[in-house]
Amino acid sequence: MRLDSSRSLLVRLFILAVLVLVPPTAIVSYRALGAFEQGMAPEMDKKAAIVGQDLRTQLERAVGYGVPLERMVGMTEFFAPVLAANPELRYLAVSDPDGRLLYLHGAETAELQADFRTAGFGTGRDGHKISVGPYFDVALPVQAKGGAVIGHLHVGFDRAYVTDRLANIFLDVAVVLSVSLIVAFEVLLFVVFFNITGPLKVAGWVVDRVRRGDFEHVPSVWSGDEVGHFVRAMSNSVRRTDEAYRGLMAYIEEVRTAHFDAGVVARVAEVADRVRFLFRFSPDGRPAPLGQRMATDIRLPLFLFVFAEEMSRSFMPLYAGGLATPLPGLSVEMMTALPIAFFMAAIALASPWAARVTERVGSSRAFVMGMVPAALGYVMTGFVFGLFDLLLWRVVSGVGYALVTVAAQTYISQAAREEQRAQGLGVYVGAVLTASICGTGIGGLLAERIGFGATFFVSGALVVLSGVLLARIMAESEPPAVVAVAARPKFRRLLANWRFTVLMLFAAVPAKMALTGFLFFLVPMILWQSSLTLSEIARMVVLYPLVMAVTSAIASRLSDRFQWRAGLVALGGLIGGIGLLAPVVLDGTLPIAIAIIALGLSHGLSASPQLALIPDVCWTECRAFGRVSIMALVRTIERAGSVAGPLIAAAFIPMWGLNGAVIGLGVLVLALAAFFAIASGAYGSGPHIETEEETA
Amino acid sequence: MSWSLARKVSAALVAILVCTMALTAYFGYAKFAEQMSAQVQSRFSFVVFTIKRKVEDGLSLGFALRQLRQTQDTIELEKARDDRVLGIEIYDASGEVLFNTDRGGVGSAVPEAWIEVLKGAPGKAFSLTDEEAGVVGMPLVNTLGKVEGAVVLRYPAAYLEQGLGEMLGRLAFELVLVVSGFAMVAAVAAYVLLGAVTRRLGAMEATLAKVMAEGGEAVPDPGGGDDFEVRFAEFVARSREAVEHIRDSTDEVERMDRLA
Amino acid sequence: MIARRLLLALCAAAPLLLPALAGAAENGASAEKGTPARPYRIYMVLYRGWEECAKGFKDYFTNQNIPVELIIRDAAQDKSRIPGFVAEAKELGVDLVFTWGTTVTQEMLGTYDKVDPEKHITDIPAVFAIVSQPVGAKVVPDFKSSGRNITGTSYLVPMETQVNLMRSYLPARRLGMVYNPLEANSRVAIDELTQLGRRLGYDLVAKAVDLVDGKPSVASIPGKVAELKDAGVEFLYIPPDTFLNVNRDVLTGAALEFQLPSFAAAENPVLNSRAMIGGVYRYYTVGQLTAYKAEQILVHKVAPKDIPIDAPKRLSIIINMPVVRALGVYPPMNLLGLAEVHDPEAGP
Repeated sequence: MRLDSSRSLLVRLFILAVLVLVPPTAIVSYRALGAFEQGMAPEMDKKAAIVGQDLRTQLERAVGYGVPLERMVGMTEFFAPVLAANPELRYLAVSDPDGRLLYLHGAETAELQADFRTAGFGTGRDGHKISVGPYFDVALPVQAKGGAVIGHLHVGFDRAYVTDRLANIFLDVAVVLSVSLIVAFEVLLFVVFFNITGPLKVAGWVVDRVRRGDFEHVPSVWSGDEVGHFVRAMSNSVRRTDEAYRGLMAYIEEVRTAHFDAGVVARVAEVADRVRFLFRFSPDGRPAPLGQRMATDIRLPLFLFVFAEEMSRSFMPLYAGGLATPLPGLSVEMMTALPIAFFMAAIALASPWAARVTERVGSSRAFVMGMVPAALGYVMTGFVFGLFDLLLWRVVSGVGYALVTVAAQTYISQAAREEQRAQGLGVYVGAVLTASICGTGIGGLLAERIGFGATFFVSGALVVLSGVLLARIMAESEPPAVVAVAARPKFRRLLANWRFTVLMLFAAVPAKMALTGFLFFLVPMILWQSSLTLSEIARMVVLYPLVMAVTSAIASRLSDRFQWRAGLVALGGLIGGIGLLAPVVLDGTLPIAIAIIALGLSHGLSASPQLALIPDVCWTECRAFGRVSIMALVRTIERAGSVAGPLIAAAFIPMWGLNGAVIGLGVLVLALAAFFAIASGAYGSGPHIETEEETA
Repeated sequence: MSWSLARKVSAALVAILVCTMALTAYFGYAKFAEQMSAQVQSRFSFVVFTIKRKVEDGLSLGFALRQLRQTQDTIELEKARDDRVLGIEIYDASGEVLFNTDRGGVGSAVPEAWIEVLKGAPGKAFSLTDEEAGVVGMPLVNTLGKVEGAVVLRYPAAYLEQGLGEMLGRLAFELVLVVSGFAMVAAVAAYVLLGAVTRRLGAMEATLAKVMAEGGEAVPDPGGGDDFEVRFAEFVARSREAVEHIRDSTDEVERMDRLA
Repeated sequence: MIARRLLLALCAAAPLLLPALAGAAENGASAEKGTPARPYRIYMVLYRGWEECAKGFKDYFTNQNIPVELIIRDAAQDKSRIPGFVAEAKELGVDLVFTWGTTVTQEMLGTYDKVDPEKHITDIPAVFAIVSQPVGAKVVPDFKSSGRNITGTSYLVPMETQVNLMRSYLPARRLGMVYNPLEANSRVAIDELTQLGRRLGYDLVAKAVDLVDGKPSVASIPGKVAELKDAGVEFLYIPPDTFLNVNRDVLTGAALEFQLPSFAAAENPVLNSRAMIGGVYRYYTVGQLTAYKAEQILVHKVAPKDIPIDAPKRLSIIINMPVVRALGVYPPMNLLGLAEVHDPEAGP
């Protein structure tokens, strides 16, 4: 295990997390299931008894009219509707006093006959319960007019019924557990990076400098733990060396200025030169603290923040739909789409402003500033009365979201300057993806139990938590570096680059359109109409980030190794478009699941190659304006697609219905993707320096 | 606040464990309560249904709802059969209670919501919640398809907690036990896992202190010294060298200073 | 039977007012209905005196707390009295007219192709009941709408419903029928049953009773039943035929003797003889349904032509338990649950 590398320690700690989280959840779930089963058993008995008593009354009436018990007619038709109306009951039967089955519906005679012959059901009016094979059997005596017991009516129910009904608890538990494991991973990642790997990395740099005789720096670490203690010891050692040097230099200075013998002065100067030649010390009079901001430092706050936003992912249109009241000139569908569109538009419009704020106050502070409107927006979203205040608070949240994401990206790109840039980007994408998986899954589950409003409060609380965490991190890290103001890219000149324009309009924009129009907007509405529960909807929606997480890991490797970028983007677009056409051939919720998976696959394949493609297609522009500002522009253009998605889908619904809207969106996306696939054939590969000549 | 690494990690793990278990318990209980109340409701619905059938048989014979005197016996019998039933009432379409297991309640008016529900979805079973009672009801429909009134059954809303308090208490106790057990496991394991890091840091620190104070060689841990420790040994050596060199130089300067 | 005796007392042609101050005493608050300042005045014209249908009609208003004033007139099977009732109804300016039976209905309201505002009620809305063939008697052109200011109820159980009831008791593949060849209705019944059989998968064996001196012979009935049994008939259908009704004991007795389950389209053969099962609409229920339609007109202000003419939804099934026991052909449980069981030997 390497002390300044986190991997093996992290793996061990994560294994520990699994060991500490999974077994207790399993133990408690199992115990609870048993207890719940026992708790419900008396209710099951009562239900069986009450149904049995009613049937017995009818049988005894018939017997009273002189119908012999063994010659009853139409017993199957008599029993069938009762079984149909009471799903916990598995069979109904009548046996004679010897336990021979006269009538049976819902089970096989062979399953019961042997036990019935030996059971002896007694004559108590309230019946007698025995266990027969996989069933519980409640036997009620049937009496003739005189009171003689002439047989028994049997109500059978499944022993496993309660277990089966409760088994879908496990789905909820599985979601909670998965989310917990991911959160545990994020937290451990943070703890290890922030407390161990980060400081030791800084210590390592100082070590390397000292090895080269350079005592100019001390590691700046303030934590009170073992790492902090160690690093302080190191600092002290460096400082002591520095002090010794200062002492020597002061002495030499004294000798040089005060000594009368020029020969001694010259020799003392030689000593000073020798020491300076062998070792380097800070020119400022004391060693400078060397600190380093790590991209991973803000991963956890970012994760929590995105988690908060993703909580409402699977039900936002349902929440909005419940508030929408018809307005002249605006369909309910369109009003339902507006909160998503407004949120996206707020992000798009606020991003340039957010970038300026970040430049002025620094990324960490901008990050914390963004938390305020975001948290306020979520809490107030939980309180809204109508669509208009919902729109207002979504916009407020959107502004916060823009500020936080821009600040986070800036922070990461600054922090990752020395490291590999891709790694820094991985931190951002990773946090967003895992947060998306967790937030979506747990959000639906929570909303189902505590309601939409309360779920938004939880979102608000998460943002506050994220803010507190970030404030602590900032307290321990150095003030923000001054950012060079990037040149503003010329829109015109970029759009004149046909490769860039085609990539934006026919790959990036349709991808976002499908994401917001289909996944964010149509999917919750369609699944809700198919009477899925909120947690089931969330489990479907979560397929997207899951599939995307897996695919993107593979795709970015492919794209790096084979420089196969445009092709992957085109392939991704086509897969996404075709997936949306699944409702053409299939019915029900299956095509929606297919479309979601296809979309995850599509974006997983195309997202990182698309980013990597941008410096390729506008190499000169990147050089002229800086990559960061080009990327900001790319995001703004993409967001136009995000805004358009739900609006287009909402416009389709009144014409073709929900499924029709999916297909309509699919046709649109597929058409655009197909155009890109054709156009990208002309891209060639590698950086396109020649664009400079073309546009010049 | 000075927390050791092991404490930080175990605190994080325990916090996550507690949240996970709390959420699991909450969702589990909610699901159970949902199933349980569905089961209870289905049983009471069945009772209501049998009463409805009897009353409607009477209606189809041409009697007016208020004339069906034997209905009073029917509902009293059904209430007597199940001690969980708070009461059964039959009221007409205008909301007047015609029969009630609590005979004093006959003639009173039912809550507005009970009348509304008959107008909303005619002919369908309904369930409502009163202040502290759950209510299941079914409309009474005559042969002409007209809603004449409804039969409702009230049962305690706290029904779930009544019989299950002990069981839930036991489960909660087990939950606390399991959580504390695994919290301890987490703490111990975190201590062990991070102990290696702590030990090696401590060893390096000690070496640094020793070498700087007394001189000598900084030898990286012979067994598992990694790259960092090798580099650190060089750091120590170089620091020592610098200190010694400076000391020697100081001596030299002093000598020269004194010589002159 | 009490009702029947009561109606004899009411039969006097003298006007007799029966103010039905229904709910007023029992229930002060009839909140849901806009209680009019005065009760609705309904002019009832009967043909055979006060009976179950009229009683059901009256009770409905009592049960529903609708205040009505019933002006009851009985033609006592004398067609000549009816024009006087028309004049009186017009003179009184009542809110609604109720007519009982085909004759009264035709005379009071005219047929749809021959309405004379002089001779018939046209401006006052009217409901009719106990008209066996509302379309055949030209009271209405079809069951969906009368096309004029009247509506009403039908009371005969559709043949298909009867057959379905019979076959739900016993899935017979061959039905039998003994009929009076002089009764035109019997021929109609045979045609209907035969046609239905083609669709529903059974066949019909019909035997006419012998005619002696141009009159149907009672003595020939048991022989005909025996022939049916020999022909493999599983269920005997007894049509609502006057001759057979009068001789129901002979017919149902023979059926029992030859172990043939019998189904009657009227109450009498089941309740007062030995038919095994019957399916009928109770006159009382028909009267209630008619009153329900009157309520639609009076209280809810629905135009009579917008109210379809139909029969009660719920069929009264009567099972004659002693006959069932004697035959040993037991009813299916679900049917038994729906039926009214006639079992004088065992009590209720």
